[in-house]
Amino acid sequence: MSERQVASIDEEIEPAPTGFLRRYVFSHDHKVIGRQFLFLGLGFLAVGGLMAMLIRWQLARPGAPVPVVGKLLFGPSGGVISPVAYTALFTMHGTIMIFFAVTPILIGGFGNFCLPLLIGARDMAFPRLNMASFWTMFAATAVLTASFFVPLGPPEAGWTAYATLSTAIGAPGPGQTLWVVAIYLNGASSVMGAVNYITTVLRLRAPGMTYTRMPLTVWGFFLTSILNALFVPVLAAAMVLLLFDRLLGTQFFIAGSTPGAGGDPILYQHLFWLFGHPEVYILILPAWGIVGDLLSFFARKPAFGYRVTVGALCGVVLLSTVVYGHHMFTTGMSPLLGESFMLLTMIISVPTALIVLSWLGTLWRGAIRFPTPMLFCLGLVFTFGVGGLTGLYLADITADLYLHDTYFVVGHFHLIMAAALLMSLFAATYFWFPKMFGRMMSEGLGKLHFWLTFVPLNLVFFGMLAIGYEGMERRLYDPSVFDFLKPLLPLNRAISHAAYLLGAAQLVFVLNFFWSLARGPRAAANPWQVGTLEWSVASPPPHHNFDRIPIVVRGPHELGHPAARPLGRDWLSQTELVDETPPAAAPSPETA
Amino acid sequence: MTAVPAAARRREVDAQVGLVIFLGATAMLFAALLLAYAIVRAQAPAWPPAGAPPFPRGAAAVNTFALVAASIALRRGRPGLALGLGAAFLAAQGLLWQHLVAIHLGPTAGALGEVFFALSVLHAAHVLGGLVALAWAGARRRRLLTLYWDFVLAIWIVVYLAVCVL
Amino acid sequence: MHLVLPRDASLDGHLVDGAIGYLTLTTGVVFALALAFLLAALLFHRARAGRTWGQHTHGNRTRDRVLMFTVALVMFVAIDVTLALRATRDLEGRFWRYPDADPAALRVEVTARQWAWTFRTAGPDGRFGTPDDVVTLNELDVPVGRPVYLKLRSRDVVHSLYLPSFRIKIDAIPGMTTRAWFQATEKGRSEIGCAQHCGVNHYKMRGLLVARDGADYRDWLARAETDSRLRYDPAGPTAIGGWDWETGQ
Repeated sequence: MSERQVASIDEEIEPAPTGFLRRYVFSHDHKVIGRQFLFLGLGFLAVGGLMAMLIRWQLARPGAPVPVVGKLLFGPSGGVISPVAYTALFTMHGTIMIFFAVTPILIGGFGNFCLPLLIGARDMAFPRLNMASFWTMFAATAVLTASFFVPLGPPEAGWTAYATLSTAIGAPGPGQTLWVVAIYLNGASSVMGAVNYITTVLRLRAPGMTYTRMPLTVWGFFLTSILNALFVPVLAAAMVLLLFDRLLGTQFFIAGSTPGAGGDPILYQHLFWLFGHPEVYILILPAWGIVGDLLSFFARKPAFGYRVTVGALCGVVLLSTVVYGHHMFTTGMSPLLGESFMLLTMIISVPTALIVLSWLGTLWRGAIRFPTPMLFCLGLVFTFGVGGLTGLYLADITADLYLHDTYFVVGHFHLIMAAALLMSLFAATYFWFPKMFGRMMSEGLGKLHFWLTFVPLNLVFFGMLAIGYEGMERRLYDPSVFDFLKPLLPLNRAISHAAYLLGAAQLVFVLNFFWSLARGPRAAANPWQVGTLEWSVASPPPHHNFDRIPIVVRGPHELGHPAARPLGRDWLSQTELVDETPPAAAPSPETA
Repeated sequence: MTAVPAAARRREVDAQVGLVIFLGATAMLFAALLLAYAIVRAQAPAWPPAGAPPFPRGAAAVNTFALVAASIALRRGRPGLALGLGAAFLAAQGLLWQHLVAIHLGPTAGALGEVFFALSVLHAAHVLGGLVALAWAGARRRRLLTLYWDFVLAIWIVVYLAVCVL
Repeated sequence: MHLVLPRDASLDGHLVDGAIGYLTLTTGVVFALALAFLLAALLFHRARAGRTWGQHTHGNRTRDRVLMFTVALVMFVAIDVTLALRATRDLEGRFWRYPDADPAALRVEVTARQWAWTFRTAGPDGRFGTPDDVVTLNELDVPVGRPVYLKLRSRDVVHSLYLPSFRIKIDAIPGMTTRAWFQATEKGRSEIGCAQHCGVNHYKMRGLLVARDGADYRDWLARAETDSRLRYDPAGPTAIGGWDWETGQ
């Protein structure tokens, strides 16, 4: 294997900034910016989650006043969620969860914090751009929040904002316009981050950190950033044209009974889903990377099929660009186009299967331990497995004719988005909390959090698969309008109860998080006993990360390595120089 | 802080890499807009749309020269002049938009007008960004800025050819 | 608790149900196998006395890769390829083979708007735009045993006609005409819903599909036609809902 030597630049270490503003508010330090994104994202995760609770309340008890907060939030309708409020709720729930929770937590938060440390760099390639990226995201949240307080209220066109519902025809107020601006700013923040992450991975890897020695987490963030850089601008194009339609009287998307309206609402769908499908992979790629690494760490053996996994990740990235039409099977597109999208969507299941198989291969013949981060990783393997399989139903056009826009779709994407991503962000938090904050989180509370989350979560989203199978459409304020859906009320109610449990369980996490922040036991440099570079520095790392830029000599998953035995442990770090000549006997699981 | 000369060189290459990625992202923005244009045009019963006045190609072409001159000025080490020429381009675009609205080729006057408007406004926004960059770092980052201005010029030529000529 | 699909009152709905059934069977098998493997790994290969070191393999030997690719490809062929072939056959043979040339097909113009459905049929004379056109609001009456050919438009935003008992879903998009067809195999009532978020009252866009036997349908048509003649406006035949099927205007 050839070793590509990245230029070894050991620069003079910059002095750490002083002053509250420079250190905690307007910091260039990727670690601070990562924490800022993390807190912003967690805050919005809570807001989005509360919105979900309200949605479930309405579906469990249509027309009943919301207890406790009902009068406050829905005063004009006597504490009852009105149809208008309901449409705003599901619109903002989706928008917030995708753009303002998962993106800032996983990509902005963990991406920022971990990436330079994992590749042996002192910071990102463009620290000031990094800071700008956070404040742009912050500005986006301000604009989005403002949309709640304008005449005619918040946007109500769903997070997908299809035209013509999102144009002046369906959404005359400024709320939808503010939404478009917020999404645009959010996208700008993502593109800034993407430029930074890609340049950092290309240029700032420590000497000896070849592409095949990068942790899978780095691959996840790297590939996500490539998709971000290429496809968020497509969303920007859709948003720009929508803004022009709304504000300047153009008619890109406007058709119907308006005189002379020669636009095409389907043009919006093409542009939106050209972005939208890569977007779901943008969200899941970091999770796949993180899980690939963590399963190895806690099974105490190398990741199975690293190169096949990386190849599969790249395959998914490539294929994700040409499958978007499966969101549009009911729009009457030509048979050839529809069947092509169906086939391409199905082909994506091959690399996806390889990724899941590599996870199973990593676990097999390991010496598996089950601390909290591992439980959440296993939870992801389960929920992503199911969620991924349910995608096949929707790839098949015949089945999609019935399942499109039902709760089956909602169950499918929530199993992947809410479940798998939630699992991954909790796994990441429990795993890197010691490094970020210098303290350990409580294992007991962590395990409790896992079980109280994992069980209800599956009940909720399997339940949605069930009611979707029985035909319930999405985005219905009151399903009992339909006779064929009346029998689903008990199931809807059960789903809601499980959802309340899921929501309440997160209080365990909040408690654990803040208590540990204040009073958790101090963390050692390497509490998980693994060899990636971030664990070779103190917890939390000093401002400049590494006293000396490390020189990498092996991959990130050298666990169970026989050469570590004389050192009294079962792992080798990426930098230590050891005699690695294999012993005479074949390696097999045995006592240390 | 004194940086080792190799570090400064590294940073410059980093900046170039970063700029190339950003230009890739921007190219995707314009590619998406051009795709929208292609779809609008393919679905229109006739192109140019029936009743649309002829597009003032000459006027639009003249503006191109300002942009070309700006790129040349930048290469010759005259960022101040480049800034002036870039501003002149924007002013000229503004006049062009006014003229287009007057002759019923504005954004609300049908498919051709709205397509040109959307593409040229987005392009102008990037020219404006380039002007800000020139004002901030004109002398120091000549190589980077030259790349950026060449890109902005290339986008304009593509837009012009796609919408006004073909 | 028993999971049931809505009553299938259609000629071709069983193709949809068959696809869903095949998917459930095959993905169920895959899921069960994967879960069994996962649980076996967690159970038998968990750390305990006598097992503190993991096997130091990178899974990059040829046989590891062959195993992974074989499993992935078997899944692909058994599930995806099979389904794709079935779907292509069903779509091109049935769902997307529209009865343009079938004189027995009942042609219906569907106009979707916020938040109701209007349906227009040509009436006994078979021509749209004449006084005997039947226009109904939120109710679609069809004869059993004859193909029903729908063309859809929308006045304002994107809606989606959803016939759960016929396994049909087709968007109604402003500025263009979409189409679908189905055939009822038994008489009875089923519901019509909207499957694309179209505004505040999306949840109320409910209609009724009434499939009637031969004589029953003729009686209904006679009554409905009489009603329509009273409401027909020669100056604006498309004012209430519909367009000329042939010319598209």
